[in-house]
Amino acid sequence: MQNEIHLQSRSRLKDYEPVVGKSSLEELKMLAAKFSGKIVQIINSTFVGGGVAEILEHMVPLLNQLGVDARWNVISGGEEFFEVTKKFHNALHGNREKISSKDLALFSEVTQRNLKEMSFYGDIIFVHDPQPVGLIAQKKNVGKKWLWRCHIDVSNPDKKVWKFLRSFIVDYDAAVFSAPNFAHPLPIRQFLITPSIDPLSDKNKELDSGTINSVLAKYGLIPDKPMIVQISRFDRLKDPLGVIEAFKMVRKSIDCQLVLAGGTATDDPECTEVYSEVKKQAEGNTDIHILLVPPESDIEINALQRAATIIIQKSLKEGFGLTISEALWKSKPVVASAVGGIPLQVKNKLTGLLCYTVEGAAYALRQLLANPEYANRLGQNGREHVKQNFLITGHLKNYLLMFLALDHNSDVIYL
Amino acid sequence: MVDWLTDSWLWLTHNWLYVVVPLVVFLATYVVGLWARRVAYRAFNRWAVGKWQGSQIIIQITRTPFIYWFLILGAFIAIQISKLDSAGKILADKILASLFVFSLTWVVVSLSVKILKLYTGKVPRLQTSENVIINIIRIAIAVVGALILLDVWGAPTTPLILLLAAVILIAALSFRDLLANLYSSFQLAQGEQIKVGDFIKLESGDSGYVTDVTWSNTRLRALDGNLILVPNSRLVQGTIINYGRPLKKATRPFRFYTRLYLKELTGLSASNLAGLANLIKKVPDSVIYYHTHHFLEEYHYLTPEPANDFALWISDEFGDEVLGEKLASINIFDFLSIGALRSRIEGVITDYLSKKPEERTARDGREFHFIKSVSFIMPTSYVAHDLREFVEVLRQVSIDSLSYHIFEARLKLKKGVNDFAIWIEECLDDKDLAEKLAYLDPYNYTLEGLRSTIIQVIEKRIK
Repeated sequence: MQNEIHLQSRSRLKDYEPVVGKSSLEELKMLAAKFSGKIVQIINSTFVGGGVAEILEHMVPLLNQLGVDARWNVISGGEEFFEVTKKFHNALHGNREKISSKDLALFSEVTQRNLKEMSFYGDIIFVHDPQPVGLIAQKKNVGKKWLWRCHIDVSNPDKKVWKFLRSFIVDYDAAVFSAPNFAHPLPIRQFLITPSIDPLSDKNKELDSGTINSVLAKYGLIPDKPMIVQISRFDRLKDPLGVIEAFKMVRKSIDCQLVLAGGTATDDPECTEVYSEVKKQAEGNTDIHILLVPPESDIEINALQRAATIIIQKSLKEGFGLTISEALWKSKPVVASAVGGIPLQVKNKLTGLLCYTVEGAAYALRQLLANPEYANRLGQNGREHVKQNFLITGHLKNYLLMFLALDHNSDVIYL
Repeated sequence: MVDWLTDSWLWLTHNWLYVVVPLVVFLATYVVGLWARRVAYRAFNRWAVGKWQGSQIIIQITRTPFIYWFLILGAFIAIQISKLDSAGKILADKILASLFVFSLTWVVVSLSVKILKLYTGKVPRLQTSENVIINIIRIAIAVVGALILLDVWGAPTTPLILLLAAVILIAALSFRDLLANLYSSFQLAQGEQIKVGDFIKLESGDSGYVTDVTWSNTRLRALDGNLILVPNSRLVQGTIINYGRPLKKATRPFRFYTRLYLKELTGLSASNLAGLANLIKKVPDSVIYYHTHHFLEEYHYLTPEPANDFALWISDEFGDEVLGEKLASINIFDFLSIGALRSRIEGVITDYLSKKPEERTARDGREFHFIKSVSFIMPTSYVAHDLREFVEVLRQVSIDSLSYHIFEARLKLKKGVNDFAIWIEECLDDKDLAEKLAYLDPYNYTLEGLRSTIIQVIEKRIK
């Protein structure tokens, strides 16, 4: 089939046992056994770039290892289509966007084209994010269970866009959100499932000091100088300019360096423009390092996070913010905005520090730089928090439970 | 022909002494042999009867060869005193020596096999490997016998011995684990450290009942029903805890269940205290259960754990530490149903509002969202038939399983008491222990702390 990817497992399920424990894996296997003979068809808009593709890249092979026949397809779009869906993305985050009837018509046209081109063979059809949401039109022809997974912060969306998307969402059997405040009054069931990180992936596995130092040397970073790092693609919603502003406030009193590192995604045409703006803002400041890293640089990202003294994520809007979980998993103290799914990961003063403004971010950064023991304690708690709640094995468990829940309405289900 | 007979007769008449004397010596040696066997076996019988079962085997096997050996001795002496030329004597010596080596080899093989069988018959764990050991012994003795024979006939044995030594060395290196396990099985048998039926725990944390001990490994039945094969050398070298025979069996085994939960959004949210109290009255039990219990698992690594969600939200969003503290201090253990707990929480908020009307509203995005806990209950493979098994399983099950039996069973499934206490009272008839577990307030502990505390209470009882 067109636009279907077959992934090989990078890690074996057994490799997760030292991390999550034998009993957790046993529970997963018991759940997976309930899906014998069923196909889970996963559909999104890209195989590469961004948090969704990254999760699916690890999750689909693990589902297969568990014996679940999960297959991953993507829709075909094109630059114009993705420009429209990027506008949708920004509008769902609450930004003002000019969305014309032509945009909506293009969205519908591409959806129709995909409806014709794609085959819908799954017993459970699991659609991710707004780009492929219109595929639900096939439900009346193929039946089966349809789920819509929203990875975006839709707590305060543009009403016009939400109304447009809602007309599709209500036909699904259930919707999944990453944070409680993303939920909307909908006539279908809504589940809360947080995304996750893979502890064994290149981005999160343990690295030796040689690898870390070589990455620092490659980018001209000074190993023994305190380093504040934000990892995220160059997107205005990640507020890279705000981070630079906060850093400049901190730099007045504490000698440190800032690293803004990120990549691009095929479904986000705005990245290059924002990257140029950030470069311009940092011009002339030798303590600020702007690094454009390609998608396959997971080891480098890992090394930068491990070398960081503090990880910052000063997003203005955030679906979930997996970079926070990545940082916490590495026991790093985190300063992050209290938006989207970030408060689920950062419990203020327990697993990191939350901020609301540039000044707040600068204050939190100073506190952590000046009190390394406190920073270390937050980092250790953070790692435990991720281990318990945001690892891929827990994520898999939640998805399997949700698939099962579609056949039951009770609050207590005996399997 | 007639000439040859005539010549022989003539030679015999002139040399009859050279024939008769060796013949007499040969026959005399035979007679001495018969007499010696009688005397020696009588003496041996007197010494060995009642002392050692193997004595009869020795007599039975060596009785006939004993005479053969005297015949060989007689022949040897006779040949030495005969008129045979030196070349003939050497050949005859070699033939006699070969016969002796053959018979001696046969006797040693037979003796070894019979005596080994006598002992393996007494040690059940060696019976399965008896044939292997017997064959090894047969081959070893036969090889030694063959080497002696070759030496007798003047063949060069040094290269063969070196080759054999090399083969033995290679075999020993290749099968060193096998040999170590074999040796260890003898040690285990001798020390009687482990018996079938014992419950043992290894250094690795694996535990189970011993179901069989063979010459190479020991088989354990783990508590999840899996078979564990442990090399005997590991048992001898490592530290093991042998708890001995099983404790009192329960009338019904305890099957451990696990509970996984999924968070379902209700779409309901409150932005002020009045709205919160109002919705607390209306939402399903599973919503109240979620907001008063999810932190036990999600933040189980923190001490003290955060309070229930209602208290946290009021403290964080409104900065109302007094009301937050009142809600946080509600002891969930005092309630036997979610309905009663719900009334108490709602009562605390409405009571507070009646004294101090509250107008504040939560910031955008900081409203209280009501979440439902959908529980999925599944049996695990772990089953306990007595308290020892129960403790060992408890060390291994997930915190989801622990939560289910302690918190969910008591409150959400409305049993009023945790599952452990119910089983211990009903199936082990141990009211004292059941009461201790029933009155243990689980909300005072982290989940791992709770696990350790329950294990300690039960282990104290077992001792």
